[in-house]
Amino acid sequence: MSFVVLKDVSKAYGADGSGALTRVLKGVSLEVSEGEFVALMGPSGSGKSTLLTVLGAMNRPTTGQLIVDGIDVYALSEERRADFRREYLGFVFQQHHLMPFLNALENASLPLAILPSSAREKRERALSALAKVGLADKAARLPSQLSGGEQGRLAIARAIVNAPPLLLADEPTGTLDTRTGDEIMRVFRDLNAAGQTVFMVTHNPSNAALSHRVLHIVDGRITNDPTASDPTPELCLPTAGRAQ
Amino acid sequence: MRISTIALANLRRRRGKAAFLVAGISIGIATAVALLTLSETIRDEIGLQLDQFGANIVVVPKSNSLALDYGGVTVSGVSFDVGQLRDEDARRVFDIPYRNRLAVVAPKILGAVEIEGRQLLLAGVDFAEELKLKRWWRLVGERPKGETDLLVGYEAARALSLVEQATDDRSAPVVPTLAPAVGMKGHAHQSSDGHFRVARERLTIGGKEFRVAGVLTPTGGREDEMVFGRLDGVQALLGRPGQLSLVEVSALCQDCPVEDIVAQINQQLPNAKVSAVQQAVRARTETVERLTRFALAVSGVVLLIGALMIFTTTSGAVVERTKEIGVLRAIGFRRAHIIKGLMLEVLLLSTAGGLLGWAAGLLASRALLPYFSQTGAGLEVDPWLALLSVATALGVGAAGSIYPALRASRLDPSEAVRYV
Repeated sequence: MSFVVLKDVSKAYGADGSGALTRVLKGVSLEVSEGEFVALMGPSGSGKSTLLTVLGAMNRPTTGQLIVDGIDVYALSEERRADFRREYLGFVFQQHHLMPFLNALENASLPLAILPSSAREKRERALSALAKVGLADKAARLPSQLSGGEQGRLAIARAIVNAPPLLLADEPTGTLDTRTGDEIMRVFRDLNAAGQTVFMVTHNPSNAALSHRVLHIVDGRITNDPTASDPTPELCLPTAGRAQ
Repeated sequence: MRISTIALANLRRRRGKAAFLVAGISIGIATAVALLTLSETIRDEIGLQLDQFGANIVVVPKSNSLALDYGGVTVSGVSFDVGQLRDEDARRVFDIPYRNRLAVVAPKILGAVEIEGRQLLLAGVDFAEELKLKRWWRLVGERPKGETDLLVGYEAARALSLVEQATDDRSAPVVPTLAPAVGMKGHAHQSSDGHFRVARERLTIGGKEFRVAGVLTPTGGREDEMVFGRLDGVQALLGRPGQLSLVEVSALCQDCPVEDIVAQINQQLPNAKVSAVQQAVRARTETVERLTRFALAVSGVVLLIGALMIFTTTSGAVVERTKEIGVLRAIGFRRAHIIKGLMLEVLLLSTAGGLLGWAAGLLASRALLPYFSQTGAGLEVDPWLALLSVATALGVGAAGSIYPALRASRLDPSEAVRYV
């Protein structure tokens, strides 16, 4: 059984105040297996970010279901959904959304702040997450003292510090130059190689090419087969000799 | 990393706003502390001044006999009492449940005597209690100590030629009745009609010789024409051992239930007539209540303004931090965690503001006190007021920030993270 199942999800907003609904997602269904790296591409306004927030358990769909690890996510109360996000999901935002007043170690520790663990344990986990993204030596620096690529990596460290089963990324290289973007994508690739499930929204075809599977969304619908998940995926890396 | 770490880091980041908020809370608390402290001090001072009007409860025997006026109070007949008050009755006043509210219990016996051919009113008193009660008395001479010591009212002393005009201009010390006794014989006093001094110490009453320890400066009251001796000595002289004409009681103290005390003394002494001097009590109660109401009203308004300031500042902070709050919600912070973080910030600032405000309020009241107090009464550092200040600041902080914090916790994380 797939780790993530999105069943016939629609999302509509009453956007123009005239009573007319704006339908952003139209019957989207997809599945993601554990350890899979899925990329979602589509033009602006196609519903990519909305789909990501629905997958991120923070945007209740108008219709449809999100099942993660057998949990009907939107059947949970709002507070339980917050717990679900903390336990199951890691977010990497396009703008990174780091806390400018906290240093790298504190930013990476942020999801641990509400856990009852000891300060030492939290620190070790945060340092381990920073080490995974190559920032162990910059733990004391403020985000403003880090380069764009380092900020991106710090955002990834914060997303994985809880060891979440699913990592969601919203155009993580969108604001970065090519070299820095590649640096970030290498981190995603390495994490996925270590077993991390990744679902990434991107505009960038070369980033998408690093995934196992690329989904295309146009006008709120997935246009390629959403269920054609390869149960034993291989990375679509050029170095792996496979392009999508 | 804890929620408090985030709150503290946020405060460090916004030092200017934090200082502004602390200043706002401090000003509110300082105003309240200064007003309440001043009103408390003034209230005590008014109480003290009203206490100096003397007794507010008078106990006399139940009697239909001839009445005698004493100090504005009608006292039962000197010689024809039906019921009698006795020494033990004065002691029994202390058996009432409100005994700890009794400041002074001054028993006395009154009798008309002839002294050197003049009819005068002789009062037997317990000098220690009497002098506590009659705080406005000033005397030339010394406080009575011995069994035969007398205090003589100014007019009586003049009539008995006990005083003479002083001829020198030296400043004349006048002893307040509660001051330690010092030898004052021959010292002059600046009276309304010039200087006087005690000219003669010996006085014979009923064949017994007494010593004039001091002469009261003129008071304008009945005591100017009276002679005061020791209670037991006067009782013996009047041939009424153990008997009392009246007992004056001072029970003026803060929030003193004088009517209740009167009822309790009545119950204790069923054969006595107990009356409260209502005017003084009412005047004092009303003054105190007005002062307290005024201080509380102004403090309330100032603190309300403080709460509104916190509300505005916290609301602004929530708008500013929409993205930050959205990120926290997105990574799994519950609504309660968001509220806790924001409230923690405000409550830390409120605590600081409360303590600073308390200190500033005390300093302000110390500086302002001379303009409000005639006696220069001192200020006391009351730790409970410090606790109350911090508690009030916390209450104001909580009241001002709870709604913005709730609103922040309701932010839609998916919208918030898109916020630019």
